[in-house]
Amino acid sequence: MSIRKNGDCWKLGILFSETGATAVIEKSQKNGALLAIEEINSKGGVAGLPIMPVSYDPGSIPSEYGRLAEKLISEDGVSLLIGCYMSSARKEVLPVIERRNALFFYPTLYEGFEYSPNVIYGGACPNQNSVPLASYLLENYGTRFYFVGSDYIYPRESNRVMRNILRQGGGEVIGERYLPVTAVKEDFVSILEDIAETKPDVIFSTVVGEGTINFYRAYYEAGHDARKVPIASLTTNEAEISRIGAKAAVGHITAAPYFRTINTPKSRRFLQSYARMFGSDEMVTSCCESAYFQVHMLAEALEREQSLDIERLREQLLGSTWDAPQGKIKIDPDNNHTYLHSRIAKVDDNGDFIVEREVRRPIKPDPYLVTPDLNDHRFRLREASKPVRAS
Amino acid sequence: MIADLRNLNVLVLHPRDSDCDDLIQQIIRIGCNVESLWPLPESLPGNVDVVFVEIREAISPALGKLLSQRPDKRPTVIGIIGYENPSVLQGILDIEVQTVISKPLRAFGVLSCILMARRIWLAQLESHKTEEKLKQKLEHIQMITEAKFILMRHHNINEKEAYKIIRSHAMSRRTSTIEIANAIINADGLLSNLNVSK
Repeated sequence: MSIRKNGDCWKLGILFSETGATAVIEKSQKNGALLAIEEINSKGGVAGLPIMPVSYDPGSIPSEYGRLAEKLISEDGVSLLIGCYMSSARKEVLPVIERRNALFFYPTLYEGFEYSPNVIYGGACPNQNSVPLASYLLENYGTRFYFVGSDYIYPRESNRVMRNILRQGGGEVIGERYLPVTAVKEDFVSILEDIAETKPDVIFSTVVGEGTINFYRAYYEAGHDARKVPIASLTTNEAEISRIGAKAAVGHITAAPYFRTINTPKSRRFLQSYARMFGSDEMVTSCCESAYFQVHMLAEALEREQSLDIERLREQLLGSTWDAPQGKIKIDPDNNHTYLHSRIAKVDDNGDFIVEREVRRPIKPDPYLVTPDLNDHRFRLREASKPVRAS
Repeated sequence: MIADLRNLNVLVLHPRDSDCDDLIQQIIRIGCNVESLWPLPESLPGNVDVVFVEIREAISPALGKLLSQRPDKRPTVIGIIGYENPSVLQGILDIEVQTVISKPLRAFGVLSCILMARRIWLAQLESHKTEEKLKQKLEHIQMITEAKFILMRHHNINEKEAYKIIRSHAMSRRTSTIEIANAIINADGLLSNLNVSK
């Protein structure tokens, strides 16, 4: 047997930032991974050996992710890794992973147009979240959109896709502004003035990290009412909403595969387990859920293969399914991305995301789709099954 | 143009090995229709927009025959190369590929490679069409000029008047000035031949 274990354990490299602009969301992703590891180890590990996390803090600096990936592989002897939130960070890790032939799990939504045999993508691509969000907004809020984003690849590409979908539905983009990832509250002032002047029906935000919290708060403080003109986003999540505060967050919209309020046995078990380990489930996000199911799916593949042979592990992973907190999911053997659920939720008075609409079946990932079709029947939304607070 | 990439029919002419499989998989991911053939077929299937073909140190005559020389009868051609030596480089020039992709094949780069090749191919096709159009136009001008001179010689008129005659004949017979010019040139040739045989 070609076992190349790391001594008496299976090492899993973890690259999520504890500090810097995207620390809030990345900490939630790290917790998701650690929770999965804890669950697996408490049941006896994989093939009798525990999974050992080896973790570094890249401080939300893209080049650090590349350097630390190299360090994990060459110095710590790791060949399985999970990590990264921003695309710019993933692009730093990618060449290292490919050169060293390691296996990398990326539990974050992104802009698509990538495939590497060494990466398993666990987040949504635009066809899995942009189309449902656009059709919901056009139906419920109106046709005049204002785009605000952080200035890097994901927001720009995500806005390109959104503009395209909106045009199909008779929508228009009346403003488009980008800010550095490190934007503070004052940076949003001129944008908010412009919004007050142009009076859009919806704001589509691709602001990420700390900027999100600053933006939503500034929006509230400038006197805007999110119940009338919400900020819609694919990235704003529970962890950020809890920082923004219920008062400023109520009425805003997010599309994601998973929300903490999904009341299924699997989701409840996930949240209980998370709360037991970290004290509360407040920071659980869809990216956290993605890190969680990716580590579990990796563990199952390891259990079946009992080897760190990357080619064989990949074969085990491709096409495999798992009963995740969001529902049944599957790794698409065509492109290494994941079939995911698609849900639209609105923040209620308590600061909880209440799922308003969902797509009936998990959506096949299509990372190379240039312009998703607004009328694609696969993306048709239905009323969400009765939303109940899970706790 | 980027949005149209998905509608392309792609043909891969390469032995079915792991390189070929990786390439086909990536083309499927991109969303194009893809077919692979090996050994080389006698002729290209209809509707092929883009052909990936391996370029080695010796180009088989079959490959030369397969890809027409006429730009308007030729799909976009992308060479797959494993070496960069002068023989292979000469092959790239001889086959007149729009771009190349190198082995070992990586998924990353295939999309921009198709896009580049397509853009160059389209530009070549456009300039070929423009060239054909200009050639024809030049021929027409020459014919009309010749016809005008014949009329001027026979009727002792100036160039403007000669053109007027050609145009009014064209209009009354509902045909083009070219055809009238052609008729005049033919008639003149015929008449001068008759003169000779007298």
